[in-house]
Amino acid sequence: MNTYYAANLLVYAGIDIIACLALNLQFGVSGIVNFSFIVFQAVGAYAAAVLSMPPDTANGGFQHYIGGYSLTFPIPWIGGAVAGGLLAIPVGFVVLRKLRSDYQAIALLVLSVIANTVITNADKFLGGAAGIALVPPPLSERIDPNTESYQYLYVGITAVCVVLTLFLVNRIVNSPYGRSLRAMRERELAATAIGKNPVELKMTIFIVGGVIAGLSGAILVGFIQVWAPSVWLYPETIVLFAAIIVGGRGSNIGAILGALLVPVGFEEVTRFLNNDPAIANLGPPGLIPALQWVAIGLLIIGFLWFRPDGVHPEARRVFEGAPALED
Amino acid sequence: MDLFVAALGFGLVSMSVIAIAAVGFTMQFGITNMINLAYGEVMISSAYLAYYLNRAGISIWAGMVAGALFGAVFSFLLNRILYAPFLRKGTSHLGMVIVSLAVSAMIANLLIPIVGYYPRSYQEDPGGLIRLGGIALTRDQLIVIGVAIVLMLAIHALLAYTRLGKAMRATAANPTLARNCGIPTQRVIDAVWLITGALCGLAGVVAALNSDSFAIANGAAFLITILAAAVLGGAGQPYGAMLGAVLIGLITELSAAAWSPQYKEVVAFGILVLVMILRPQGLLAKRGALAAAG
Repeated sequence: MNTYYAANLLVYAGIDIIACLALNLQFGVSGIVNFSFIVFQAVGAYAAAVLSMPPDTANGGFQHYIGGYSLTFPIPWIGGAVAGGLLAIPVGFVVLRKLRSDYQAIALLVLSVIANTVITNADKFLGGAAGIALVPPPLSERIDPNTESYQYLYVGITAVCVVLTLFLVNRIVNSPYGRSLRAMRERELAATAIGKNPVELKMTIFIVGGVIAGLSGAILVGFIQVWAPSVWLYPETIVLFAAIIVGGRGSNIGAILGALLVPVGFEEVTRFLNNDPAIANLGPPGLIPALQWVAIGLLIIGFLWFRPDGVHPEARRVFEGAPALED
Repeated sequence: MDLFVAALGFGLVSMSVIAIAAVGFTMQFGITNMINLAYGEVMISSAYLAYYLNRAGISIWAGMVAGALFGAVFSFLLNRILYAPFLRKGTSHLGMVIVSLAVSAMIANLLIPIVGYYPRSYQEDPGGLIRLGGIALTRDQLIVIGVAIVLMLAIHALLAYTRLGKAMRATAANPTLARNCGIPTQRVIDAVWLITGALCGLAGVVAALNSDSFAIANGAAFLITILAAAVLGGAGQPYGAMLGAVLIGLITELSAAAWSPQYKEVVAFGILVLVMILRPQGLLAKRGALAAAG
C-alpha cells in the first residue's frame, strides 16, 4: 500500500461522502428524487476546470473550451460550488413547482441524459466527447503535485471539505428547518396545511444540494485533472442512490457509510478483481464492469425489499412534550 | 423545400415508430400506475432478439412477431416477479421509479456481455422507393406505417368495444371500485402487461429497423422520445400518446432536416420541458403530470 494508492482512495472516499451527503439531503431528508445529481457534480467540475485552466490556445490549442481564466485555488472550487447552485435554480424552477413527484424524477432523469448528449455533441463548448484534459491541480504553482506531501495536502483539503459539508448538512437536518423538510417528505399535503411552502423548501434544498454537488465535482476534477462526458453518464447517479439506500435514507451517518460501502467499496473490489488476470480475462470483454452494475441494481432492489431503512436507519425523532401514545 | 417534404416522409415513419412505443408505455402507466423506466431496455432486448433471428436467416417480419412475443413475456414476468410484489408491499410511486431504473441498468448491463458494444443493423433489403408526390419511402417504411395504423386501430377497438378494454379503463379510473364491481383487476393488469409488452417489443424491432444501426445505448434515447410523446399527449392517455407521437415524430424530423440529426432527442426534450412548464397535464388529460391539489 503506497502513498499514492492511499491518497487516491481517501480523496475518492471524501468526494463520494460529500456527494452522498448532498444527495441524502435532497433524496433522504426532503424526498426530492434528483436523478440528475451527477449533472450538478459535472457542472461544478467543468466550472472549476475552466476557471483554473489557461485559455484554450495554451498547450498548442489541442482542445477547445470556453473561458480559461487561470485563477488560483480556492476560487475555482468556489466557482464550481456556485455553478452547481446556479444550475439548480432554472432546473428546480421547471421541475419542482407543479409536477407530481414521480414526474419530477423522470424529468430529472431525462435532463441528465440530454445534458450529456448536448455536451458530447457541442465540441467547441467544453471539449465535446473528448472532454477537458490538463486541468491544473490546486496550488500546483507552489507545490509540485507529483510529490507525496502534495498527496497528503490534497487528502487534507478534501477532509476539510468533508467536515464543512457534514457540519452544514447536520445543522440543516437537526434544525427546525430539517423538521419541516421531513414533514414535507412524509406528507406534503399535511405540511402545506400547517403553513409550510413545499416549493420553497424544495427549491432551497435543491440549490444547497447543487452547491455541495458542484463542490464535490471541483474536488474531483482537481484530483484527476481530466473531465469528459463519459464520466458523468446518468447511471453514475444510480450508484449514489444505491449508496443512500444501503446506508439509510435520511441519516447522515448512513450516507457516509453508504458512500464507503457502495461507490468506494465497488471500485476497490473491481480493482482487486482486475488485478487477478484469471478473473479479469474471464468471459467476454466488459463482463466485470457489467456485472458490477448488475450487482448495484440487485443491491438497490434487495435493500428496498429486505431492509428499506438501510444499515444505519434514520433516527426516530420523538417530541418529548407529546403525550404518550397507548398502543 | 424538397428537404422538408422528404423530412415529412421520414416524419411519417418516425411517428409510426413512436406511436407504437408510446401507446404501450402510456397504457402501462395509465392502467397499472407504474412508470416503467426499463421500457427502453425491453425494446432494445427485443431488437437484439430479432437481430439474431435475422442473422440466422429468418425474415425481419417474423423477427418482429418474435420480438413482440418476447417483449410480452419479458414485461409480464418483470411485473409478476418484481414490480407487483413491490407494489403489494406498499412501495411508493417514487420507490417504484427507483426500482424500475435499477432494473433498466441491470438489463442494459446484462446485455453487454451477450451482445457486445458494437452497433448492429439488420440484413434487410428495404425494397424499392415508392413515390407519393414529393415524398419517397421504401417498401419497408410503408409497411412500418401500415403496421402502426393497424395497431392503433386495434388498440382503439380494444379499448372502446371489448369487455377487456372496458375492464382496463375501469381499472385505470379506480382499481378499488373496479374490483368491487367484480372486475378481476389482477387478470386485467396481467393482460395489460402482456399487451403493452408486445407493443414494446414490436416497437423495439421497428425502431431498430428504422435506424441505420442500433446499440445498447439507444435504449435511453428511445425512452426519452417515448416519454416526450406520452407526456405531451397527457400521461396515461392512449389517444394522447398517439397525438403526441404524431407531433414529436414530425417536429423531430423537421428539426433534423433544418438543424442537425444529432439533436433529435434534444428537440424532444425541449418539447418535454415546454409541456412541463406550460401544460403539465398534457394536451388530452385533466390531471396528467400535475401534482395533487394543494
